[in-house]
Amino acid sequence: MQHPLNREQILLEGLVANDRLATEQVYRDNHKTVIAWVSARGGSSTDGEDVFQEAMVILFQKAQQAEFRLSCKIGTYLVAVSKYIWYKKLQQQQRQPDFLPHGNGDEDGVHEDRIYEDDIKVQEEREVHFEQLNLALEELGEPCRSLLKAFYNEDKSMQEIAKSFGYTNQDNAKTQKYKCLTRLKKLFYNAQVNK
Amino acid sequence: MSVDNKVWITAEAYLAKNLSTDELGLLEIKIGEDKNFASEFHDACSLLRSLNNAGSQQKFKNNLATINQKIKEESAVKPRKIALSMQYLRTAGVAAVVAILASVGSMWVMEHNSHNNTSKYSELRKEIRSDLENIKQSQSRIIKDLNNKANKPQIENKYSGTGFALSNDGYLVTNYHVTKGADSLYIQTRDGNYYKAYTVSFDATADIAILKIQAKNFKFSKNAQIPYSFANTKSGLGTQVYTLGYPQNDAVYSEGYISSRNGYLGDSLQYRLELPADPGQSGAPVLDASGNIVAIVTAKESKSVGTTFAVSTKAMLKLLRGIPESVNIRLPKSSKLTNLSRNQQIEKIQDFTCVVKVYGN
Repeated sequence: MQHPLNREQILLEGLVANDRLATEQVYRDNHKTVIAWVSARGGSSTDGEDVFQEAMVILFQKAQQAEFRLSCKIGTYLVAVSKYIWYKKLQQQQRQPDFLPHGNGDEDGVHEDRIYEDDIKVQEEREVHFEQLNLALEELGEPCRSLLKAFYNEDKSMQEIAKSFGYTNQDNAKTQKYKCLTRLKKLFYNAQVNK
Repeated sequence: MSVDNKVWITAEAYLAKNLSTDELGLLEIKIGEDKNFASEFHDACSLLRSLNNAGSQQKFKNNLATINQKIKEESAVKPRKIALSMQYLRTAGVAAVVAILASVGSMWVMEHNSHNNTSKYSELRKEIRSDLENIKQSQSRIIKDLNNKANKPQIENKYSGTGFALSNDGYLVTNYHVTKGADSLYIQTRDGNYYKAYTVSFDATADIAILKIQAKNFKFSKNAQIPYSFANTKSGLGTQVYTLGYPQNDAVYSEGYISSRNGYLGDSLQYRLELPADPGQSGAPVLDASGNIVAIVTAKESKSVGTTFAVSTKAMLKLLRGIPESVNIRLPKSSKLTNLSRNQQIEKIQDFTCVVKVYGN
Protein backbone atom coordinates (compact mmCIF):
# COMPACT_ATOMS: atom_id res chain seq x y z
CA MET A 1 0.00 0.00 0.00
CA GLN A 2 1.19 3.48 -0.82
CA HIS A 3 1.96 5.92 1.90
CA PRO A 4 -0.51 8.80 1.67
CA LEU A 5 2.29 11.36 1.32
CA ASN A 6 3.74 9.27 -1.41
CA ARG A 7 0.41 9.36 -3.21
CA GLU A 8 0.40 13.17 -3.04
CA GLN A 9 3.91 13.28 -4.47
CA ILE A 10 2.97 10.95 -7.33
CA LEU A 11 -0.12 13.01 -8.12
CA LEU A 12 1.91 16.22 -8.15
CA GLU A 13 4.50 14.74 -10.46
CA GLY A 14 1.72 13.61 -12.76
CA LEU A 15 0.23 17.10 -12.68
CA VAL A 16 3.56 18.67 -13.62
CA ALA A 17 3.94 16.25 -16.53
CA ASN A 18 0.45 17.16 -17.76
CA ASP A 19 -0.74 13.62 -17.18
CA ARG A 20 -4.48 13.34 -17.81
CA LEU A 21 -5.16 10.68 -15.18
CA ALA A 22 -3.31 12.41 -12.37
CA THR A 23 -5.02 15.69 -13.24
CA GLU A 24 -8.37 13.96 -13.22
CA GLN A 25 -7.67 12.38 -9.83
CA VAL A 26 -6.75 15.71 -8.25
CA TYR A 27 -9.80 17.27 -9.88
CA ARG A 28 -12.14 14.60 -8.53
CA ASP A 29 -10.62 14.72 -5.07
CA ASN A 30 -11.30 18.41 -4.62
CA HIS A 31 -13.76 20.01 -6.99
CA LYS A 32 -16.86 19.32 -4.90
CA THR A 33 -15.47 21.01 -1.80
CA VAL A 34 -14.69 24.16 -3.72
CA ILE A 35 -17.96 24.26 -5.65
CA ALA A 36 -19.92 23.78 -2.42
CA TRP A 37 -17.89 26.50 -0.70
CA VAL A 38 -18.44 29.01 -3.51
CA SER A 39 -22.12 28.09 -3.79
CA ALA A 40 -22.55 28.84 -0.09
CA ARG A 41 -21.12 32.32 -0.70
CA GLY A 42 -23.36 33.61 -3.42
CA GLY A 43 -21.75 31.95 -6.43
CA SER A 44 -23.31 29.62 -8.98
CA SER A 45 -21.92 26.14 -9.54
CA THR A 46 -20.35 27.47 -12.76
CA ASP A 47 -18.60 30.15 -10.70
CA GLY A 48 -17.37 27.36 -8.44
CA GLU A 49 -16.03 25.39 -11.39
CA ASP A 50 -14.27 28.47 -12.78
CA VAL A 51 -12.67 29.29 -9.46
CA PHE A 52 -11.57 25.71 -8.94
CA GLN A 53 -10.06 25.48 -12.42
CA GLU A 54 -8.15 28.72 -11.87
CA ALA A 55 -6.78 27.28 -8.65
CA MET A 56 -5.77 24.10 -10.49
CA VAL A 57 -3.87 26.16 -13.08
CA ILE A 58 -2.07 28.04 -10.30
CA LEU A 59 -1.06 24.77 -8.67
CA PHE A 60 0.04 23.42 -12.05
CA GLN A 61 2.27 26.44 -12.68
CA LYS A 62 3.64 26.52 -9.16
CA ALA A 63 4.51 22.85 -9.30
CA GLN A 64 6.48 23.41 -12.54
CA GLN A 65 9.18 25.23 -10.59
CA ALA A 66 12.12 23.07 -9.66
CA GLU A 67 12.34 24.43 -6.13
CA PHE A 68 8.67 23.80 -5.48
CA ARG A 69 7.71 22.01 -2.27
CA LEU A 70 4.16 21.94 -1.08
CA SER A 71 4.06 22.53 2.65
CA CYS A 72 0.50 21.24 2.96
CA LYS A 73 -1.75 18.73 1.27
CA ILE A 74 -2.80 19.36 -2.34
CA GLY A 75 -6.41 19.65 -1.26
CA THR A 76 -5.66 22.18 1.46
CA TYR A 77 -3.74 24.33 -0.99
CA LEU A 78 -6.41 24.18 -3.71
CA VAL A 79 -9.22 25.07 -1.33
CA ALA A 80 -7.26 27.95 0.22
CA VAL A 81 -6.30 29.43 -3.16
CA SER A 82 -9.88 29.01 -4.40
CA LYS A 83 -11.15 31.00 -1.44
CA TYR A 84 -8.79 33.86 -2.24
CA ILE A 85 -9.77 33.81 -5.91
CA TRP A 86 -13.43 33.99 -5.00
CA TYR A 87 -12.95 36.84 -2.53
CA LYS A 88 -10.99 38.67 -5.17
CA LYS A 89 -13.78 38.18 -7.69
CA LEU A 90 -16.36 39.46 -5.23
CA GLN A 91 -14.17 42.45 -4.58
CA GLN A 92 -13.82 43.17 -8.28
CA GLN A 93 -17.56 42.99 -8.70
CA GLN A 94 -17.73 45.37 -5.76
CA ARG A 95 -20.28 43.25 -4.07
CA GLN A 96 -18.19 43.14 -0.95
CA PRO A 97 -15.51 45.80 -0.91
CA ASP A 98 -12.50 45.34 1.33
CA PHE A 99 -13.17 41.90 2.58
CA LEU A 100 -10.22 39.61 2.47
CA PRO A 101 -9.86 37.13 5.29
CA HIS A 102 -6.58 38.16 6.84
CA GLY A 103 -5.39 35.39 9.11
CA ASN A 104 -6.51 35.03 12.68
CA GLY A 105 -4.02 37.54 13.97
CA ASP A 106 -1.25 35.03 14.52
CA GLU A 107 1.98 35.43 12.58
CA ASP A 108 1.73 32.11 10.83
CA GLY A 109 -1.71 32.78 9.38
CA VAL A 110 -0.66 36.13 7.94
CA HIS A 111 2.35 34.52 6.36
CA GLU A 112 0.21 31.89 4.61
CA ASP A 113 -2.21 34.58 3.40
CA ARG A 114 0.60 36.42 1.68
CA ILE A 115 1.69 33.26 -0.12
CA TYR A 116 -1.76 32.61 -1.57
CA GLU A 117 -2.18 36.21 -2.67
CA ASP A 118 1.25 36.22 -4.25
CA ASP A 119 0.54 32.97 -6.11
CA ILE A 120 -2.63 34.44 -7.55
CA LYS A 121 -0.87 37.65 -8.51
CA VAL A 122 2.00 35.82 -10.20
CA GLN A 123 -0.51 33.83 -12.22
CA GLU A 124 -2.37 36.99 -13.26
CA GLU A 125 0.90 38.49 -14.48
CA ARG A 126 1.66 35.27 -16.30
CA GLU A 127 -1.69 35.35 -18.08
CA VAL A 128 -1.02 38.94 -19.18
CA HIS A 129 2.39 37.86 -20.46
CA PHE A 130 0.84 34.95 -22.39
CA GLU A 131 -1.77 37.28 -23.78
CA GLN A 132 0.96 39.55 -25.16
CA LEU A 133 2.73 36.54 -26.57
CA ASN A 134 -0.50 35.51 -28.23
CA LEU A 135 -0.98 38.98 -29.69
CA ALA A 136 2.53 38.84 -31.13
CA LEU A 137 1.72 35.40 -32.56
CA GLU A 138 -1.44 36.73 -34.20
CA GLU A 139 0.51 39.63 -35.64
CA LEU A 140 3.03 37.21 -37.16
CA GLY A 141 0.47 36.08 -39.72
CA GLU A 142 0.46 32.81 -41.61
CA PRO A 143 2.08 30.36 -41.91
CA CYS A 144 4.19 31.29 -38.88
CA ARG A 145 1.26 31.55 -36.49
CA SER A 146 -0.10 28.08 -37.33
CA LEU A 147 3.34 26.53 -37.50
CA LEU A 148 4.38 27.73 -34.04
CA LYS A 149 0.99 26.82 -32.58
CA ALA A 150 1.22 23.34 -34.08
CA PHE A 151 4.61 22.87 -32.47
CA TYR A 152 4.09 24.49 -29.07
CA ASN A 153 0.37 24.07 -28.43
CA GLU A 154 -0.55 20.92 -30.28
CA ASP A 155 2.61 18.91 -29.68
CA LYS A 156 3.08 18.16 -33.37
CA SER A 157 6.50 16.80 -34.32
CA MET A 158 8.59 18.65 -36.89
CA GLN A 159 8.01 15.71 -39.21
CA GLU A 160 4.22 16.09 -39.01
CA ILE A 161 4.57 19.83 -39.42
CA ALA A 162 6.77 19.44 -42.49
CA LYS A 163 4.09 17.21 -43.98
CA SER A 164 1.03 19.30 -43.17
CA PHE A 165 2.62 22.62 -44.16
CA GLY A 166 4.07 21.19 -47.36
CA TYR A 167 7.80 21.43 -46.67
CA THR A 168 9.94 18.95 -48.57
CA ASN A 169 11.72 17.77 -45.44
CA GLN A 170 12.06 18.23 -41.72
CA ASP A 171 15.12 20.47 -42.01
CA ASN A 172 13.29 22.95 -44.21
CA ALA A 173 10.45 23.03 -41.70
CA LYS A 174 12.96 23.63 -38.89
CA THR A 175 14.62 26.47 -40.76
CA GLN A 176 11.18 27.99 -41.27
CA LYS A 177 10.42 27.55 -37.57
CA TYR A 178 13.61 29.39 -36.60
CA LYS A 179 12.76 32.18 -39.04
CA CYS A 180 9.34 32.47 -37.44
CA LEU A 181 10.87 32.49 -33.96
CA THR A 182 13.27 35.26 -34.95
CA ARG A 183 10.39 37.39 -36.23
CA LEU A 184 8.30 36.58 -33.18
CA LYS A 185 11.16 37.61 -30.92
CA LYS A 186 11.39 41.00 -32.64
CA LEU A 187 7.63 41.57 -32.46
CA PHE A 188 7.36 40.43 -28.88
CA TYR A 189 10.27 42.36 -27.40
CA ASN A 190 9.46 45.48 -29.39
CA ALA A 191 5.95 45.34 -27.99
CA GLN A 192 7.44 44.97 -24.51
CA VAL A 193 9.65 48.02 -24.99
CA ASN A 194 6.84 50.15 -26.37
CA LYS A 195 4.54 49.30 -23.57
CA MET B 1 23.12 27.72 -41.47
CA SER B 2 22.59 31.34 -40.46
CA VAL B 3 23.61 32.93 -37.18
CA ASP B 4 19.96 33.19 -36.09
CA ASN B 5 19.39 29.48 -36.46
CA LYS B 6 22.45 28.79 -34.40
CA VAL B 7 21.18 30.85 -31.48
CA TRP B 8 17.86 29.01 -31.57
CA ILE B 9 19.44 25.57 -31.86
CA THR B 10 21.74 26.29 -28.93
CA ALA B 11 18.89 27.74 -26.86
CA GLU B 12 16.66 24.73 -27.56
CA ALA B 13 19.39 22.28 -26.64
CA TYR B 14 20.28 24.30 -23.54
CA LEU B 15 16.68 24.32 -22.27
CA ALA B 16 16.22 20.63 -23.02
CA LYS B 17 19.47 20.04 -21.06
CA ASN B 18 20.95 18.31 -24.11
CA LEU B 19 24.30 20.08 -23.96
CA SER B 20 27.37 18.16 -22.87
CA THR B 21 29.65 19.58 -20.17
CA ASP B 22 32.14 20.66 -22.84
CA GLU B 23 29.47 22.40 -24.87
CA LEU B 24 28.17 24.13 -21.75
CA GLY B 25 31.68 25.34 -21.01
CA LEU B 26 32.08 26.76 -24.51
CA LEU B 27 28.68 28.41 -24.25
CA GLU B 28 29.63 30.10 -21.00
CA ILE B 29 32.84 31.41 -22.49
CA LYS B 30 30.97 32.77 -25.51
CA ILE B 31 28.40 34.45 -23.28
CA GLY B 32 31.20 36.02 -21.28
CA GLU B 33 33.04 37.31 -24.34
CA ASP B 34 30.29 38.27 -26.75
CA LYS B 35 27.81 40.68 -25.17
CA ASN B 36 25.69 40.72 -28.32
CA PHE B 37 25.37 36.96 -28.39
CA ALA B 38 24.69 36.90 -24.67
CA SER B 39 21.63 39.12 -24.98
CA GLU B 40 20.37 37.32 -28.10
CA PHE B 41 20.75 34.01 -26.33
CA HIS B 42 19.05 35.28 -23.21
CA ASP B 43 16.04 36.62 -25.17
CA ALA B 44 15.82 33.40 -27.19
CA CYS B 45 15.76 31.27 -24.05
CA SER B 46 13.11 33.33 -22.33
CA LEU B 47 10.91 33.38 -25.45
CA LEU B 48 11.21 29.60 -25.82
CA ARG B 49 10.41 29.14 -22.13
CA SER B 50 7.31 31.30 -22.49
CA LEU B 51 6.16 29.44 -25.60
CA ASN B 52 6.67 26.06 -23.96
CA ASN B 53 4.97 27.14 -20.79
CA ALA B 54 2.06 28.81 -22.58
CA GLY B 55 1.62 25.65 -24.65
CA SER B 56 1.61 23.30 -21.70
CA GLN B 57 -0.71 25.56 -19.71
CA GLN B 58 -3.10 25.53 -22.64
CA LYS B 59 -2.96 21.74 -22.71
CA PHE B 60 -3.58 21.64 -18.98
CA LYS B 61 -6.59 23.92 -19.32
CA ASN B 62 -7.96 21.77 -22.13
CA ASN B 63 -7.56 18.75 -19.87
CA LEU B 64 -9.47 20.52 -17.11
CA ALA B 65 -12.29 21.38 -19.48
CA THR B 66 -12.53 17.78 -20.70
CA ILE B 67 -12.48 16.42 -17.16
CA ASN B 68 -15.15 18.88 -16.06
CA GLN B 69 -17.31 17.86 -18.98
CA LYS B 70 -16.79 14.19 -18.17
CA ILE B 71 -17.67 14.62 -14.49
CA LYS B 72 -20.80 16.53 -15.41
CA GLU B 73 -21.93 13.82 -17.78
CA GLU B 74 -21.35 11.16 -15.13
CA SER B 75 -23.26 13.00 -12.45
CA ALA B 76 -26.11 13.48 -14.88
CA VAL B 77 -26.32 9.71 -15.28
CA LYS B 78 -25.63 8.41 -11.80
CA PRO B 79 -25.67 10.87 -8.94
CA ARG B 80 -24.38 8.38 -6.38
CA LYS B 81 -20.65 8.12 -5.87
CA ILE B 82 -18.93 5.69 -3.55
CA ALA B 83 -15.78 6.95 -1.86
CA LEU B 84 -12.75 4.71 -2.16
CA SER B 85 -10.48 4.42 0.82
CA MET B 86 -6.80 3.76 0.31
CA GLN B 87 -6.80 0.05 0.98
CA TYR B 88 -9.17 -0.55 -1.86
CA LEU B 89 -6.95 1.13 -4.40
CA ARG B 90 -5.88 -2.14 -5.97
CA THR B 91 -9.42 -3.35 -6.34
CA ALA B 92 -10.25 0.09 -7.59
CA GLY B 93 -7.49 -0.25 -10.15
CA VAL B 94 -8.99 -3.44 -11.47
CA ALA B 95 -12.40 -1.84 -11.43
CA ALA B 96 -11.03 1.14 -13.33
CA VAL B 97 -9.62 -1.12 -16.03
CA VAL B 98 -12.97 -2.88 -16.28
CA ALA B 99 -14.67 0.50 -16.42
CA ILE B 100 -12.38 1.69 -19.17
CA LEU B 101 -13.00 -1.48 -21.17
CA ALA B 102 -16.70 -1.13 -20.56
CA SER B 103 -16.70 2.50 -21.64
CA VAL B 104 -14.72 1.69 -24.75
CA GLY B 105 -17.30 -1.01 -25.35
CA SER B 106 -20.17 1.36 -24.83
CA MET B 107 -18.52 4.02 -26.94
CA TRP B 108 -18.40 1.47 -29.69
CA VAL B 109 -22.06 0.77 -29.19
CA MET B 110 -22.84 4.49 -29.22
CA GLU B 111 -20.76 4.92 -32.31
CA HIS B 112 -22.59 2.03 -33.83
CA ASN B 113 -25.95 3.44 -32.90
CA SER B 114 -25.13 6.87 -34.09
CA HIS B 115 -24.29 5.39 -37.45
CA ASN B 116 -27.77 3.97 -37.57
CA ASN B 117 -29.11 7.37 -36.74
CA THR B 118 -27.23 9.30 -39.35
CA SER B 119 -30.10 8.95 -41.72
CA LYS B 120 -32.24 10.96 -39.34
CA TYR B 121 -29.94 13.85 -38.54
CA SER B 122 -28.03 15.78 -41.09
CA GLU B 123 -25.94 18.81 -40.46
CA LEU B 124 -26.72 21.72 -42.65
CA ARG B 125 -23.37 22.76 -43.95
CA LYS B 126 -23.35 22.83 -47.67
CA GLU B 127 -20.79 20.98 -49.73
CA ILE B 128 -19.73 22.80 -52.84
CA ARG B 129 -19.44 20.50 -55.81
CA SER B 130 -17.86 21.59 -59.00
CA ASP B 131 -20.79 20.53 -61.13
CA LEU B 132 -23.72 22.29 -62.71
CA GLU B 133 -24.89 23.66 -59.39
CA ASN B 134 -21.81 25.76 -59.21
CA ILE B 135 -22.31 27.11 -62.67
CA LYS B 136 -25.83 28.14 -61.89
CA GLN B 137 -24.63 31.05 -59.84
CA SER B 138 -27.17 33.67 -59.21
CA GLN B 139 -26.97 36.76 -61.25
CA SER B 140 -26.24 39.01 -58.35
CA ARG B 141 -23.27 36.89 -57.40
CA ILE B 142 -21.86 37.16 -60.91
CA ILE B 143 -22.30 40.89 -60.80
CA LYS B 144 -20.58 40.97 -57.43
CA ASP B 145 -17.72 38.93 -58.85
CA LEU B 146 -17.43 41.25 -61.80
CA ASN B 147 -16.83 44.04 -59.38
CA ASN B 148 -13.75 42.05 -58.46
CA LYS B 149 -14.24 41.97 -54.74
CA ALA B 150 -11.33 42.39 -52.42
CA ASN B 151 -9.51 39.43 -50.92
CA LYS B 152 -11.41 36.73 -52.77
CA PRO B 153 -9.43 33.51 -52.45
CA GLN B 154 -8.24 31.97 -55.71
CA ILE B 155 -9.71 28.55 -55.16
CA GLU B 156 -13.32 27.59 -54.58
CA ASN B 157 -14.39 26.86 -51.05
CA LYS B 158 -15.24 23.37 -49.91
CA TYR B 159 -18.17 24.02 -47.59
CA SER B 160 -20.29 26.95 -46.72
CA GLY B 161 -22.54 27.94 -43.87
CA THR B 162 -24.08 31.07 -42.44
CA GLY B 163 -22.79 33.28 -39.66
CA PHE B 164 -24.02 36.36 -37.86
CA ALA B 165 -22.39 39.17 -35.93
CA LEU B 166 -21.90 39.18 -32.16
CA SER B 167 -20.34 42.60 -32.21
CA ASN B 168 -19.88 45.17 -34.95
CA ASP B 169 -16.08 44.90 -34.79
CA GLY B 170 -15.91 41.44 -36.31
CA TYR B 171 -16.84 38.75 -33.80
CA LEU B 172 -19.37 36.34 -35.24
CA VAL B 173 -20.92 32.99 -34.48
CA THR B 174 -21.60 29.95 -36.62
CA ASN B 175 -21.83 26.18 -36.15
CA TYR B 176 -18.77 24.26 -35.09
CA HIS B 177 -19.44 21.61 -37.74
CA VAL B 178 -19.22 24.26 -40.45
CA THR B 179 -15.67 25.17 -39.44
CA LYS B 180 -14.51 21.68 -38.53
CA GLY B 181 -11.38 20.62 -40.38
CA ALA B 182 -10.96 23.96 -42.10
CA ASP B 183 -7.57 25.04 -43.36
CA SER B 184 -8.84 28.55 -43.66
CA LEU B 185 -12.08 30.41 -43.16
CA TYR B 186 -13.42 33.35 -45.07
CA ILE B 187 -16.61 35.21 -44.60
CA GLN B 188 -18.44 37.02 -47.33
CA THR B 189 -20.47 39.98 -46.17
CA ARG B 190 -23.60 41.37 -47.72
CA ASP B 191 -21.65 43.67 -50.02
CA GLY B 192 -19.85 40.64 -51.45
CA ASN B 193 -16.44 41.33 -49.92
CA TYR B 194 -14.36 38.50 -48.54
CA TYR B 195 -12.63 38.66 -45.17
CA LYS B 196 -10.34 36.13 -43.56
CA ALA B 197 -11.49 34.88 -40.17
CA TYR B 198 -10.13 32.65 -37.46
CA THR B 199 -11.71 30.61 -34.67
CA VAL B 200 -11.67 32.24 -31.23
CA SER B 201 -13.43 29.49 -29.34
CA PHE B 202 -15.74 26.59 -29.95
CA ASP B 203 -17.90 24.00 -28.22
CA ALA B 204 -18.12 20.81 -30.22
CA THR B 205 -20.95 19.33 -28.14
CA ALA B 206 -23.17 22.37 -28.45
CA ASP B 207 -21.97 22.79 -32.06
CA ILE B 208 -21.05 26.45 -31.75
CA ALA B 209 -17.96 28.27 -32.96
CA ILE B 210 -17.02 31.89 -32.31
CA LEU B 211 -15.02 33.46 -35.13
CA LYS B 212 -13.22 36.76 -35.48
CA ILE B 213 -12.51 38.60 -38.67
CA GLN B 214 -8.81 39.19 -38.91
CA ALA B 215 -8.83 42.57 -40.63
CA LYS B 216 -8.25 45.43 -38.22
CA ASN B 217 -10.87 48.16 -38.22
CA PHE B 218 -13.40 45.77 -39.71
CA LYS B 219 -17.02 46.79 -39.18
CA PHE B 220 -20.07 44.83 -40.23
CA SER B 221 -21.82 48.12 -40.74
CA LYS B 222 -20.26 51.56 -40.86
CA ASN B 223 -23.30 53.45 -39.70
CA ALA B 224 -25.58 51.02 -37.87
CA GLN B 225 -25.41 49.09 -34.62
CA ILE B 226 -26.34 45.42 -34.29
CA PRO B 227 -30.15 45.56 -34.28
CA TYR B 228 -30.92 42.30 -32.51
CA SER B 229 -30.27 41.06 -28.98
CA PHE B 230 -29.74 37.59 -27.55
CA ALA B 231 -32.31 35.72 -25.50
CA ASN B 232 -30.74 34.35 -22.32
CA THR B 233 -33.61 32.12 -21.34
CA LYS B 234 -35.22 29.41 -23.42
CA SER B 235 -38.32 30.46 -25.34
CA GLY B 236 -41.60 28.63 -25.00
CA LEU B 237 -43.27 26.05 -27.13
CA GLY B 238 -45.09 27.51 -30.10
CA THR B 239 -43.05 30.75 -30.27
CA GLN B 240 -43.16 32.08 -33.82
CA VAL B 241 -39.65 32.30 -35.24
CA TYR B 242 -37.92 33.10 -38.50
CA THR B 243 -34.45 32.71 -39.93
CA LEU B 244 -32.23 34.31 -42.52
CA GLY B 245 -29.47 32.18 -44.03
CA TYR B 246 -27.40 31.53 -47.10
CA PRO B 247 -28.21 28.19 -48.74
CA GLN B 248 -27.33 30.04 -51.94
CA ASN B 249 -25.49 33.26 -52.53
CA ASP B 250 -28.50 35.36 -51.71
CA ALA B 251 -30.05 35.52 -48.29
CA VAL B 252 -33.06 33.23 -47.88
CA TYR B 253 -35.86 33.88 -45.41
CA SER B 254 -38.01 31.17 -43.87
CA GLU B 255 -40.36 31.10 -40.93
CA GLY B 256 -41.91 28.61 -38.54
CA TYR B 257 -42.36 27.90 -34.86
CA ILE B 258 -40.72 26.14 -31.93
CA SER B 259 -42.19 22.66 -31.96
CA SER B 260 -40.29 21.31 -28.97
CA ARG B 261 -38.12 22.92 -26.32
CA ASN B 262 -35.68 20.04 -26.63
CA GLY B 263 -33.86 19.05 -29.78
CA TYR B 264 -32.58 15.92 -31.43
CA LEU B 265 -32.99 12.90 -29.12
CA GLY B 266 -34.07 15.23 -26.33
CA ASP B 267 -30.92 17.39 -26.46
CA SER B 268 -31.69 20.20 -24.02
CA LEU B 269 -29.19 22.58 -25.60
CA GLN B 270 -31.32 22.55 -28.72
CA TYR B 271 -34.79 23.43 -29.92
CA ARG B 272 -36.79 21.48 -32.41
CA LEU B 273 -38.35 23.76 -34.99
CA GLU B 274 -40.89 23.38 -37.73
CA LEU B 275 -39.09 25.58 -40.17
CA PRO B 276 -37.72 24.64 -43.58
CA ALA B 277 -33.92 24.86 -43.87
CA ASP B 278 -31.42 23.79 -46.49
CA PRO B 279 -27.71 22.97 -46.51
CA GLY B 280 -25.75 26.19 -46.17
CA GLN B 281 -28.14 27.51 -43.57
CA SER B 282 -26.13 26.06 -40.71
CA GLY B 283 -25.23 28.85 -38.34
CA ALA B 284 -28.14 31.07 -39.36
CA PRO B 285 -29.83 33.09 -36.60
CA VAL B 286 -33.33 32.12 -35.45
CA LEU B 287 -35.25 35.19 -34.26
CA ASP B 288 -38.52 35.71 -32.48
CA ALA B 289 -41.04 38.33 -33.50
CA SER B 290 -39.48 41.09 -31.42
CA GLY B 291 -36.01 40.59 -32.81
CA ASN B 292 -34.34 38.52 -30.11
CA ILE B 293 -32.06 35.80 -31.40
CA VAL B 294 -33.23 32.63 -29.66
CA ALA B 295 -31.20 29.98 -31.46
CA ILE B 296 -28.78 29.03 -34.22
CA VAL B 297 -29.82 26.65 -37.01
CA THR B 298 -27.67 23.54 -36.91
CA ALA B 299 -29.25 20.49 -38.50
CA LYS B 300 -32.43 19.02 -39.89
CA GLU B 301 -34.19 15.73 -39.71
CA SER B 302 -33.19 13.94 -42.88
CA LYS B 303 -36.33 12.04 -43.53
CA SER B 304 -38.88 14.75 -43.03
CA VAL B 305 -39.21 18.11 -44.69
CA GLY B 306 -39.35 21.09 -42.42
CA THR B 307 -38.05 19.74 -39.12
CA THR B 308 -34.96 21.65 -38.14
CA PHE B 309 -32.81 21.63 -35.02
CA ALA B 310 -31.28 24.76 -33.60
CA VAL B 311 -28.89 25.38 -30.70
CA SER B 312 -30.26 27.76 -28.11
CA THR B 313 -28.46 31.08 -27.56
CA LYS B 314 -28.22 30.07 -23.91
CA ALA B 315 -25.58 27.52 -24.93
CA MET B 316 -23.82 30.22 -26.95
CA LEU B 317 -23.82 32.70 -24.07
CA LYS B 318 -22.35 30.02 -21.87
CA LEU B 319 -19.50 29.49 -24.32
CA LEU B 320 -18.95 33.26 -24.45
CA ARG B 321 -18.67 33.44 -20.68
CA GLY B 322 -15.84 30.92 -20.86
CA ILE B 323 -13.76 33.16 -23.12
CA PRO B 324 -11.01 35.08 -21.30
CA GLU B 325 -11.96 38.62 -20.37
CA SER B 326 -9.13 39.98 -22.47
CA VAL B 327 -11.16 38.98 -25.54
CA ASN B 328 -13.56 41.83 -25.35
CA ILE B 329 -16.83 40.96 -27.07
CA ARG B 330 -19.46 43.59 -26.42
CA LEU B 331 -22.80 42.00 -27.12
CA PRO B 332 -25.71 44.20 -28.18
CA LYS B 333 -27.83 44.89 -25.11
CA SER B 334 -31.26 45.57 -26.51
CA SER B 335 -33.20 44.81 -29.64
CA LYS B 336 -33.91 47.69 -31.97
CA LEU B 337 -36.33 45.61 -33.99
CA THR B 338 -39.25 45.38 -31.60
CA ASN B 339 -41.70 47.68 -33.31
CA LEU B 340 -40.61 47.18 -36.89
CA SER B 341 -42.40 45.23 -39.61
CA ARG B 342 -40.86 41.94 -40.67
CA ASN B 343 -39.52 43.49 -43.88
CA GLN B 344 -37.80 46.26 -42.00
CA GLN B 345 -36.38 43.77 -39.50
CA ILE B 346 -34.88 41.63 -42.23
CA GLU B 347 -33.43 44.63 -43.99
CA LYS B 348 -31.61 45.62 -40.79
CA ILE B 349 -30.44 42.11 -39.94
CA GLN B 350 -28.99 41.39 -43.35
CA ASP B 351 -25.97 43.65 -42.85
CA PHE B 352 -25.00 41.51 -39.88
CA THR B 353 -25.31 38.09 -41.46
CA CYS B 354 -22.72 36.60 -43.75
CA VAL B 355 -21.67 33.50 -45.65
CA VAL B 356 -18.96 31.45 -43.93
CA LYS B 357 -16.76 29.81 -46.54
CA VAL B 358 -14.57 26.93 -45.54
CA TYR B 359 -11.45 25.95 -47.40
CA GLY B 360 -9.71 22.68 -46.82
CA ASN B 361 -9.33 19.12 -47.89
